[in-house]
Amino acid sequence: MNRFELLNLLQNTIQDELVVCNIGLPSQELYKINDRPNYFYMLGSMGLASSIGLGLSLAVHKNVISIDGDGSVLMNMNTLATIGNRAPANYTLLIVDNGSYGSTGDQKTFTNERTSLKNVAIGSGCQNVIECSGEETNENLKKALADKNNSYVIISKIKSGNVPIKPIPLNAVTIRDRFRKEIGLVPYL
Amino acid sequence: MKISKKIISNLKEGGSDFFLSVPCKLLANMITILEEDKEVYYSAIPREEEGMGICAGAYLGNKLPCIMMQNTGIGNSVNAIVSLLQLYQMPVVFLISYRGTPGEPVGAQGAMASVTEEILDTLRIPMLRCNDEKDLDKISTFTNHAKVIEGPVAILCNFNLMKDD
Repeated sequence: MNRFELLNLLQNTIQDELVVCNIGLPSQELYKINDRPNYFYMLGSMGLASSIGLGLSLAVHKNVISIDGDGSVLMNMNTLATIGNRAPANYTLLIVDNGSYGSTGDQKTFTNERTSLKNVAIGSGCQNVIECSGEETNENLKKALADKNNSYVIISKIKSGNVPIKPIPLNAVTIRDRFRKEIGLVPYL
Repeated sequence: MKISKKIISNLKEGGSDFFLSVPCKLLANMITILEEDKEVYYSAIPREEEGMGICAGAYLGNKLPCIMMQNTGIGNSVNAIVSLLQLYQMPVVFLISYRGTPGEPVGAQGAMASVTEEILDTLRIPMLRCNDEKDLDKISTFTNHAKVIEGPVAILCNFNLMKDD
């Protein structure tokens, strides 16, 4: 299973949860599969999907899912310590771990060698850290969303590889505004 | 403690209700105040760039976030400021302890101080320079200004203003 297939599969589970999706191909694939206003697509700031989702989960009551990647988590690994100490129960971090920097040409990441993000997450204090196959991801995500008392970190081990895709034809403020409308916020000012 | 109390009170009056910090000894009193404040969210975090991400998420959830850090933290966060906060037009208040300004005992802090305002200028981030106590009265209006312009603003607190607080 590759990322595109995994993201496709997750559409059975994700309903009105607020999703923050990693920059590049993950967001472009998610947009192509099933664009929804409750999907916040990152257009910049590689590494911060997990952090944006954490900040959001601290501000709202709805379930929040950060869809991050192994390369991006490696870039902002301190976020696992913050999540380990501060994540509320409505937060789920889903790390799509395909062992490669997919958006830049599938160069290998260190999770292909000796680094285990599961062990880093546990060592950082994260609760309910689950490493699983792509096929098992849906059931684990369902479990995480149903649990109202605990946050989760799910590391989905899949194959590298991408599908031909175009950039997202939405500008940043459009993504922002339709996402905030989905949360039910009145105009900010 | 008087200066620190005034800064936090004015930030809250301007609408800030979500605080993060990467520590600095000049921010120590503010951190103590926030740790005991039940009206707002506060957490320490390991790195400023990550804080920009957390602030972005908190803004999406209708908070007006404030991140407290040394001016060195701006250097750690440039891409996140530009390609997240500014690209998506997200208001965030930077409360900066301006290390390396006169009174600073650590010579090495002068290096980052010498480029801090130029970086903020290049990023087109409005600055409020606080040199003495009366400047603090402008903080609440300036905090609200972040909401008005839908982008980050920077409050710079000089070393001498904070050192004996």
